[in-house]
Amino acid sequence: MSESTTAESNSSVLWVAKPLITAARQFGKSLLRPSTIVYPFERLEDPKFRGAVRIAPGKPIGVGQVWDNYRGVHALNIETCISCNLCAFSCPDLCIDMVTVPGGDPKHPKKCPQIDYGKCSYCGFCSDACPEGCLSMTTRYELSVSKRSDMIYSPQRLEEVFKAKLPMSPIRVERPKNEDAILLDPPLCIGCNACARDCPTKCITMVDLPKPVAKAGEKLPKRIWKEPVVNDSDCVRCGTCISVCPKECLFWGTHR
Amino acid sequence: MWINMGPQHPMTHGLWNLRVKIDGELVLDVDPEMGYLHRGIEKISEDRHYNEIITLMDRTCYVAGMAWEHLFIQAAEHALHIQVPERAQWIRTMSEEFQRVASHLMWYAAFVQDIGLMSPFLYGMRDRDLVLDLFQSYTGGRLTYEYMRVGGVRNDLPPGFTDQARKVCDWLSDRFVEYDRLCLGSDIFHRRCDNLGVLKASECIRYGITGPMLRSAGVARDLRKDRPYAAYGQVDFEVAVADGADVTGRYLVRMEELRQSLRILRQTLDWLDRNAGPVMAENVPRWMGAPYAPVGREGYLLKREYPKGVGFSAIEEPHGEALAYVVNEGGEHPYRVKLKSPVFVNIAAARQYLVGYRVADIPPIMGSVDVCVGEVDR
Repeated sequence: MSESTTAESNSSVLWVAKPLITAARQFGKSLLRPSTIVYPFERLEDPKFRGAVRIAPGKPIGVGQVWDNYRGVHALNIETCISCNLCAFSCPDLCIDMVTVPGGDPKHPKKCPQIDYGKCSYCGFCSDACPEGCLSMTTRYELSVSKRSDMIYSPQRLEEVFKAKLPMSPIRVERPKNEDAILLDPPLCIGCNACARDCPTKCITMVDLPKPVAKAGEKLPKRIWKEPVVNDSDCVRCGTCISVCPKECLFWGTHR
Repeated sequence: MWINMGPQHPMTHGLWNLRVKIDGELVLDVDPEMGYLHRGIEKISEDRHYNEIITLMDRTCYVAGMAWEHLFIQAAEHALHIQVPERAQWIRTMSEEFQRVASHLMWYAAFVQDIGLMSPFLYGMRDRDLVLDLFQSYTGGRLTYEYMRVGGVRNDLPPGFTDQARKVCDWLSDRFVEYDRLCLGSDIFHRRCDNLGVLKASECIRYGITGPMLRSAGVARDLRKDRPYAAYGQVDFEVAVADGADVTGRYLVRMEELRQSLRILRQTLDWLDRNAGPVMAENVPRWMGAPYAPVGREGYLLKREYPKGVGFSAIEEPHGEALAYVVNEGGEHPYRVKLKSPVFVNIAAARQYLVGYRVADIPPIMGSVDVCVGEVDR
């Protein structure tokens, strides 16, 4: 650069100095307002980050529910759980087991979901499938444990999450309009009451059938003269009745 | 001499191995080896209910989950003869475009770091986070969304979403100017990228290369335009084309695609503001919609009649043309699911665009291909 003119050397000084000045200014800015969330000290669920899409250093734009919809650890309300099994069935990873919880009829114990977070993929299908809204996903995301067995959350632990009153997703998935109904194949039914007994919503009632009079030489089938009637508006379509029916006389179908 | 670049190498952006035959600095031959990330997604899909496969599709390509959800769901709906409501189609279009923006920003961050620029990496990652925030606000997930369902989408957009999304679009369109200044204004960038990894249009077509790599060779091939799906037939945009067929060309194509994506996004957001409606088809049997019933495990006797059919779908994924083929033989699960990944084709042709360059050129060239190994190995 010894042969360069004064103007050129001036510009080359600028060429060197300008980025340095910019860098120094940016550095000073970042000390005051970091672009990222300084995690252990600040948290995403802090009020200042809530309800906003973040744009760069602490500049929230817009209003909405960003954080509430997050799919984290589940919260379970044991009281409203009806043991319908739908969460366990909808789980693609088979990480939900239905385990007995204290309380309830000793003959037919109440069963609530137990979730293995080592397998869970946080897809939210279980909370979508839950007809009573008692299993929902919260914003809790810190799950590190030192033992693998600690990853299994019993219903009681899930209820602790529920009692912590974390924000939960306000989104409720609408049920489809043309749902299948439980239909009965009357000649197979023996009126054993198993479906009505195990129905989680108690929407099956056993109605009396008129006992036919046996004709000469004809033998009446050996059965209780009752038949289940399903109340469609209360039915959550869990299929428990189909699975407990000893004669396989209940099935899915559309109303005709 | 053969050397292994990978499976653990900063160039690979994932788990694959590029064997390189070198003479000093000169690349004489290359041999890409894939399969390290094979999870058997196609096979697992045969044992799963249609909606459960969505969780796998999110993990097929971990930077473009929404695009792969869309791909599979379209094929499944084709096989099951289900019509999707219009609003769901527009929400899907919007989701896919946001995913394209997120994916391209991820590519931008990774690619500029390959050529040695650190600040753009941070900018790219910072701005991608805004798009992930938007995804979180209506799907609940930041990377694995599980949002689309057979027959529609899981839920409608929350109130105030379109305003937020517009603000993010405005913010991003300003940033893209900055990105271009950082890269195209830099002499280092041009010396590093111009006339590098050249693959002419005829070669691209011969090897079945699609996406930004093909468009950078001057071929205006874009499935969104050529074979419109979802709501792409009703939005106005241009296909990004460059004519360098080199690394700079691929950069230009992707940056132009980002701008066109914002253009599409603004149109979809306007449409979604104006039109309300259902987001789930009404003729979907309940066990296919959300939430769905038990699907026949543990002794449940739930034999159901499914319509038989064959479904095919093709979408313009951020990396190129992705295809899905679903065969339904009337069971509760698909009989066969076949996915075609654009990145598999693009890196399988590595010999055509790497041989003849130097070893130090391999990171920028492979960076410009935009490798996502999750969808290569599936």
